[in-house]
Amino acid sequence: MFRVHLSVNAILQLTDIKMKPGFSVYRKLAGLEWLTGAVRWKSNTRPAPILTAAPVRALIDEQMSIKGHFLPPHCPVTVCARMHSDEGDLWQSFAHYNANESGVLSLTRDPSVGGSYLGCEPMGLFWSIQPAPGEREGLRLRKKNVETPYMVHISLLEGHVSPSEQQITELAAVTAERWYIAPGVKRIEIRQNGVVGTLFVPPGPGPFPAVLDLWGMGGGLIEYRSSLLASRGHISFSLAYFGHKDLPSPPNCINVGDSYFKTAFQLLQDHPQVVSDRIGIIGLSFGCYLALRIATRTGVQPSCLVCINGPMGSTVPLINADGRTDQFESFQEYWNFDDEGRVIFKEISLPANLLPESLVKLEKLDCPLMYIVGEDDLSTSSTENADLIEKSLQSAGKSHLLTRLSYPGTGHLIEPPYSPNARESMWVIKPKKLITMWGGHPAPHAAAQEDAWKKILDYLEKHLRS
Amino acid sequence: MKKKYKFKMDNKQCCVTLSVQPSRGLVDEKFVVLVQNTLPSSLLTIHALHRCEDAHSWHAFAHYTSDATGAVNVSEDCSMSGTYSGVEAMGLLWSLKPVPGSKPGLRMRKKNVQAPMVVTISVYKGHLTEDFGDRVPLASVEVERWYMAPGVRRIPVTEDGLTATLFLPSGPGRFPGILDLWGGGGQLVEYRAALLASHGIATMALDYLTCKYTMETGKIVEKDYFETAYKFLQKHPKILGSRIAMLGLSLGTSVTLKMAVYSDVVKLRCAVCINGSHVQPMDGFLNEMLNYFTEHCRNIHFTKDNEVVWRDILLPIPTDLSRKVDVGKLQCPLMLIIGEDDQNWCPCESAIDMKVMMEQAGNSHLLTVLSYPNAGHLIEPPYTPHARSSLFKDVISHQKFMVLWGGQTLEHSRAQEDAWRKLLVFLRKNLYGDVKTGASLVSNL
Repeated sequence: MFRVHLSVNAILQLTDIKMKPGFSVYRKLAGLEWLTGAVRWKSNTRPAPILTAAPVRALIDEQMSIKGHFLPPHCPVTVCARMHSDEGDLWQSFAHYNANESGVLSLTRDPSVGGSYLGCEPMGLFWSIQPAPGEREGLRLRKKNVETPYMVHISLLEGHVSPSEQQITELAAVTAERWYIAPGVKRIEIRQNGVVGTLFVPPGPGPFPAVLDLWGMGGGLIEYRSSLLASRGHISFSLAYFGHKDLPSPPNCINVGDSYFKTAFQLLQDHPQVVSDRIGIIGLSFGCYLALRIATRTGVQPSCLVCINGPMGSTVPLINADGRTDQFESFQEYWNFDDEGRVIFKEISLPANLLPESLVKLEKLDCPLMYIVGEDDLSTSSTENADLIEKSLQSAGKSHLLTRLSYPGTGHLIEPPYSPNARESMWVIKPKKLITMWGGHPAPHAAAQEDAWKKILDYLEKHLRS
Repeated sequence: MKKKYKFKMDNKQCCVTLSVQPSRGLVDEKFVVLVQNTLPSSLLTIHALHRCEDAHSWHAFAHYTSDATGAVNVSEDCSMSGTYSGVEAMGLLWSLKPVPGSKPGLRMRKKNVQAPMVVTISVYKGHLTEDFGDRVPLASVEVERWYMAPGVRRIPVTEDGLTATLFLPSGPGRFPGILDLWGGGGQLVEYRAALLASHGIATMALDYLTCKYTMETGKIVEKDYFETAYKFLQKHPKILGSRIAMLGLSLGTSVTLKMAVYSDVVKLRCAVCINGSHVQPMDGFLNEMLNYFTEHCRNIHFTKDNEVVWRDILLPIPTDLSRKVDVGKLQCPLMLIIGEDDQNWCPCESAIDMKVMMEQAGNSHLLTVLSYPNAGHLIEPPYTPHARSSLFKDVISHQKFMVLWGGQTLEHSRAQEDAWRKLLVFLRKNLYGDVKTGASLVSNL
């Protein structure tokens, strides 16, 4: 990453340092960083500038204030963020700034004039972070292990440069931790009554309101939104229903139905620290349809629903009344492909293409519903489904239950804030590599995530706590 | 999950929320404690509980009344009573005291700086003063307080016979450096050095009374031990040799002043001395200094609670230049931080004398004095509990004493907060030197 084209002797002459043989401790430390730093910055007379981040250990949805001090006045610099995903891929972002007349730089006040984002964006380094050149294609940043933080190395580079350039001088750095879980939140694996999930319980005696957390057809067990909700005071239950080793099923089928979700909801109700009549459901994508189905077909009574970019009916044929599905990869009638062979799933969930018998009977909905639309959603026909939901509730005289949020330039994956959007990512690798489009453009999608998360938290407070 | 008991719909308890932001902070960072959704005008107690590394429990508490919206904001609202009163954003930390029934003479000091101090903050119904353990709070959260920022490297140093720990900030450097000295209790005390490194200054905590050399030979180190420590920093490739400072508390002040004025090797950019004195025998060094204290112990007295007061040992301040550091010869900026209620040393009288000496020599422009009424000897990083007295092991005699440090908790805590902020400004101003500084020098505090 940092390369110099001067000999070591030349550098030593410039910096007037004598390396004493045998000082193995700091010789190891010295390395290339020191050599590069010494060449340009005349460090035998002045100390390096300072880069600070506060708070330096923050939750993912907390703002961080990044500042640089003791720079030369009006000095052009690049702020660069680098981190490794849980899978070991390198992600990075950068932005070009100019220090002010006092040699100070503040990302909460100053505009970026180039790089991964433009303008005044205090959290831009985090939401614009992308896989570094040379990393695997089709990546999406998702925290698997919520009990450890992302370690983000934020550095100040000399001049307006790109981090992938040959000659870079790192002037200063700070390491920040970004957490999906607050201290004291307990993570409990649940394998009970056939239900597979992870429960997050905030510290304290309780009792707490609770949230059932559902994701989409990517499957697996996704914990990071749940752990954040628990960090905000709710007991939160991430539920697996598809693509999990502890849920045996024929390939590509959802092998669980209404009884499974009802059991999961009841598990929450029966938890000694849960207030049984203050449980909400949050669902993204297919999880949205599941949330609506649970609220209208299973007999349980959630206090509210938050649905993000999802259909109001099943996109896959059901094989029984309980709601289990057939193999969804067999039904590719509405799969569209762009010029680069990437699949766009959007048409599958157009209301006209949804399984009619699976369409949720919204007239049976008895609780408030927040529906969030990403207007550039390429995976689900969110706007069309939102329209149909709105119309159905209106016909049933229940418009007052609906709160609709709609965000331009925003894609399918509306996730907790200050994390990057994937406009596309790898859907399957075998038998053939297939990339799917999610949609969304970086800046508007980031703004949507920030706004939506605040509104979701306020909505949950309003309906689960007051 | 066993079904124990169910909460009925009219139980409003689930509504109460307690939040502390940030939940993971540096020790010198402020936090905001917010209680919401209680009934308006309800009586509440906010409580902090910490179990320290020595397994002692410490607690603090304050009594509030929620406002019309049912909220309490500790940074804005007034505590009526408790271990602190008034509007005190950080009172839950600096007013921490050993829980009733604890053994006397405790002092909280973090040994392992790589793990946080964990504090449980809870809100209870009513105005409670005791038996918190028997009650169930309305809500409770956990807060971490760190002496060390992520990315700061902790490096044990044993080269050249030193017993020290170097803390290097993140980044390529080069960094200004600080040699960090504590007092007569000895040991290798790391927490202040870790915190300074978290603010971007490479800092080395040095053990000079119970170091390897002393433990093996039984002898006290000489001047060259400190010069070696200084040289270690000076030639470190990540440290800027021309920007090294010394920070000393108590006996560490004596060492700092001696080195600053008389060492040909140690060239300090600036020095900070907390609650110490310039009075010491000029021939010889540490060994002679310790003997001097022993010789003057007729001035020691005891309080009615059998606490030992050592402040008079060096008094009266001698006029004889063979018994005090000639600060008129000092060539670098010096900040003196003084607790006016210090019962262990005599920093006030010493500071007055130093000022006179420097005025007479014409270098008093180098001197900054911060003097705090009712603050005691142990002026430490902010928001950490005050110990007016504690059990102290004298490294020379190996005897344990209940030592009176002095200070009244409220003023002492204010002093710690103010002194730390000013100390950081002073260090940055002098260590970053001619670099033009903006308004936001220490902006994140």
